[in-house]
Amino acid sequence: MQLLVNSLALGSFYALIALGFALIFGVTRTFNLAHGELILLGGYISYFLFKGAGIHILWTLPPSMLALLGAALVLHAILRRVREPYELNTLVVTFGLALVLQNAMLVIFTADYRLIGHGRQFFLESLDAYVSDTQITVFLTSLLATLSVHFLMRKTFLGKALRATIQDREAARLAGIHVDHMTLIAFGTGGALIGLAGPLYAQTTYLHPFGGSEPTLLAIIVSIFAGVGRTRGLLLGGWLLGTIESATVFFLGSSWREMVSAMILIGLLLLRPEGLWSERSKPGREA
Amino acid sequence: MFLVASLAWSSGLGPVTAAGTVGSPGITIGEIDPLTGKLAKHGQEIHEGILYAVEEANSKGGIQGRKIEVISRDDQSLPDVAINQAEDLLYRYKVSGLVGGYVDSLVAPVSELAAKYHVPYVASASLQRTLTLGRNNPFFFRVAHLDGIVEPLCSFLEKVVRPASVAILYTATPGSTEFGQEVKARLIRSGIDVKVFEKFRPGSPDFSAFLLKLRADGVEALVCGGFFPDHLILVRQIREQNLSLKAYVGPWGVAYPSFVEEMGAAAERLFGMCAWNQGITLPGTETASEAFAEGFRKRFGKTANTTTMHGYTSARALIAALEGDLKSGGSLKGEDGSRRLRALDILTPMERLAFDEKGDPRHYRQVVVQIQSGRLVAVHPPDRAGGHIQWPAP
Amino acid sequence: MRKLSGSQMLTGGTGVVLMLWPLFVPGGDLYCRVLGWSFFFAALALAWNILALTGSISIGHTAFFGLGAYTSALMSHYTHLSPFICVILGGASGMVYGALWHFVFKPLRGARFALATLASVEIPRVIVDNWEGLTFGSLGLVGIEAFSGVQPGGMDLSPGESLKSQYYLLLFMMASYLLIHHRAVRSRWGWAMRAVREDETAAGSIGVPVHRIRFCAVTFSAALTGICGAVYSHLMGLIEPSLVFSLHLSAMPLVLSIFGGRYQIAGPVLGSLILYPLDQLFFHAWFPSAHAALYGLVIVLTLIHFPSGIGTWLQKKLT
Repeated sequence: MQLLVNSLALGSFYALIALGFALIFGVTRTFNLAHGELILLGGYISYFLFKGAGIHILWTLPPSMLALLGAALVLHAILRRVREPYELNTLVVTFGLALVLQNAMLVIFTADYRLIGHGRQFFLESLDAYVSDTQITVFLTSLLATLSVHFLMRKTFLGKALRATIQDREAARLAGIHVDHMTLIAFGTGGALIGLAGPLYAQTTYLHPFGGSEPTLLAIIVSIFAGVGRTRGLLLGGWLLGTIESATVFFLGSSWREMVSAMILIGLLLLRPEGLWSERSKPGREA
Repeated sequence: MFLVASLAWSSGLGPVTAAGTVGSPGITIGEIDPLTGKLAKHGQEIHEGILYAVEEANSKGGIQGRKIEVISRDDQSLPDVAINQAEDLLYRYKVSGLVGGYVDSLVAPVSELAAKYHVPYVASASLQRTLTLGRNNPFFFRVAHLDGIVEPLCSFLEKVVRPASVAILYTATPGSTEFGQEVKARLIRSGIDVKVFEKFRPGSPDFSAFLLKLRADGVEALVCGGFFPDHLILVRQIREQNLSLKAYVGPWGVAYPSFVEEMGAAAERLFGMCAWNQGITLPGTETASEAFAEGFRKRFGKTANTTTMHGYTSARALIAALEGDLKSGGSLKGEDGSRRLRALDILTPMERLAFDEKGDPRHYRQVVVQIQSGRLVAVHPPDRAGGHIQWPAP
Repeated sequence: MRKLSGSQMLTGGTGVVLMLWPLFVPGGDLYCRVLGWSFFFAALALAWNILALTGSISIGHTAFFGLGAYTSALMSHYTHLSPFICVILGGASGMVYGALWHFVFKPLRGARFALATLASVEIPRVIVDNWEGLTFGSLGLVGIEAFSGVQPGGMDLSPGESLKSQYYLLLFMMASYLLIHHRAVRSRWGWAMRAVREDETAAGSIGVPVHRIRFCAVTFSAALTGICGAVYSHLMGLIEPSLVFSLHLSAMPLVLSIFGGRYQIAGPVLGSLILYPLDQLFFHAWFPSAHAALYGLVIVLTLIHFPSGIGTWLQKKLT
């Protein structure tokens, strides 16, 4: 029914936001706290192209992806100079970068709230529910993106190399994989994925220079929840989260949303300390 | 070592010499607003309103020939920062008055500090009861209060909309919670059924499940005590789900030209509330209102809205008080400034400015507005109405 | 008389200056206030770091802060006990939740542990927010009693009234936390924690009581954070759920500790004493709208050049 449709749309939205973060974190161990700000950046680019040049929303996706690919590479260049302990330091460095980005966006884009226009909605007889074209776009994009990344990871040689890097950087290096190249590729692809999510974020919620913490938080939750390096888990994890939240709001009330989600999240973390779809037989998989 | 050096250096900075022509020292007032962070939009709007009032006064020769300078600080929506910055303004810069403020939990500590330094503080957007009724602060004044919103809203629902059932959605912040409770109590007293009474965390990206509940319960009207960004999402989702309501009322964040612009056609027939907007002004202040709107547009390149006007009005009050003080030979002592504020009675486009013994405004009443064909039209109370309501709303 | 190391002299010297300057400089209210807050956040950072020393990075410490704040404030509101007692109770409530963390999050490590800590904030937060009968919910608590003090010979020493006493109270708090932190780093416990941090399995195999170490670390850290929260509520006089259960409070100790050097005894203190006054006194004044960008830039540049924090670099310079 309608609740399920909305939940799936919401969940796809969450998964899409998390994709870029998960890829970058998985391969390079960079805990990018500026993730949300980058998504907003993609959203702003799309917004101004849409409002200024009248380009159809779907056509703003490629420029946004390209721009964010560039931005991610810049981020990579900055982060290359970060030394051990890498994870923690990148957390704090990107925290600082996020602050800088927020202020930059405040100056450039002003503090006004912006969102990309309101689409049409349809009533699907088969599902007995209203669906908006934004929801459909988000659902399809998220599905497509996840499947593409999954395909990349599982079926291509590059993907194998990336997965090896995720599993164990040192061993991958020993096996002859050019780990630094993998890092570059991960950042680039992650950036493109962020650029994909940005415009859709602007359509689904809104843009504000200081609104970056919400998508960052969502990305962190979904990524870690799904388990590092598991792309399918992202989509399914997102759907799960979306469904739990919507169900809670519907049955218990909006004020319990966060707590129930948190409790179930903790519960699932405990049930599967290795990740949502881990194969228990593989030892030593550090999340 | 480093700390000692920096302490010595910064104390050497001393009070900044205020802007002024040679021979006549300027007058400094301080402003503390959320210039960054989630509330940056409103903080900046209040800031611009204050700036405009100061520049307007300066262009007319300032106060007794002395130029007014305003020093603005960001409170980052954090109380410790607000207190630090207030202390800085009061201690280092020795401001003669404080103005601004958007959130009650920051306005309260700042007002206490102002009282300690004996400096008047006119808050631009404080709402809650506890700030005036619970305390006795002779240096605290505000140009708005919650009753000025709740009363018109309830009379609108009771007399005009008359819905069979109402849903109240509010945010988990003190101001909105107090609002929600007040409205609920009044509506129940007048016999309207409050079927749904829910609270959400600001920043929630999705209301679809909540809207499903509304449909299931057959609610006729929705009062949403959320803010600008929440309405952006909520209204869009109402349209997407094709939920038909007799009335959607958003006291904060709807009656804004920028809201109408961003939402486009989806904003039609929605109800909002404002204390002022271009074209919606107190009878008798039309020229001043137009002059303000035009002057503001020339200066900042954007449209002024009700939040801007709150900033402007609070600054006007402070400036008027300081002016009165200097005119009668005073020396800008805080107590005199406060006394002047209490005795104030001037007509501004937003309200007739006069404060009671607690610092609350005597004549603050917002009007209910409906978005019609992309414009804001006042529809309630009848003596302020500029047009008729278009039913069925959304 | 043992020769003091460079860093010990620096710490000692700074401590003496911080203790004595208010007595010789008249007024100075602004600096008392800003430094007082930086002591407060230094204490918060120290408390957080105690857990971080075992290798468990938490991004949910605000849960303890909020619990401490609310417990203390509600106790004070309903029973009118002295704020000092209420603060202890606040610490206790933090400690209980910390113990809960230990038992529930036992199998979790690394990023999954961090996520669990983040999620764990929501439980007390939402309960406090919704249990309006007890906690006043989203309205928050106002009029929380300030710290009472002594009035020797007409001098007002109550931290609620006098800014200088507040300053000394916070200085005292930070100093005590620093002492605890010092013990945590330099004692047998410290070595055990370090072993757990470096390699938990190896530590366990040589006989380090891993679970006991982790339990002590988390409960201590939680209790101290809870006390911070309680002190906050009495200092500010009003609290609301979104204020004391905020991400900002979880992030700040982390950033300050890593900035200042989290393996240094006074690292977190250094982080707070440098960044906080710098930001409040200078960045805000220079750039009312853009101070955060400068703050972020300082953090980025510092961590790129001093990856182990300023404290570590300073330590090397002084030895």
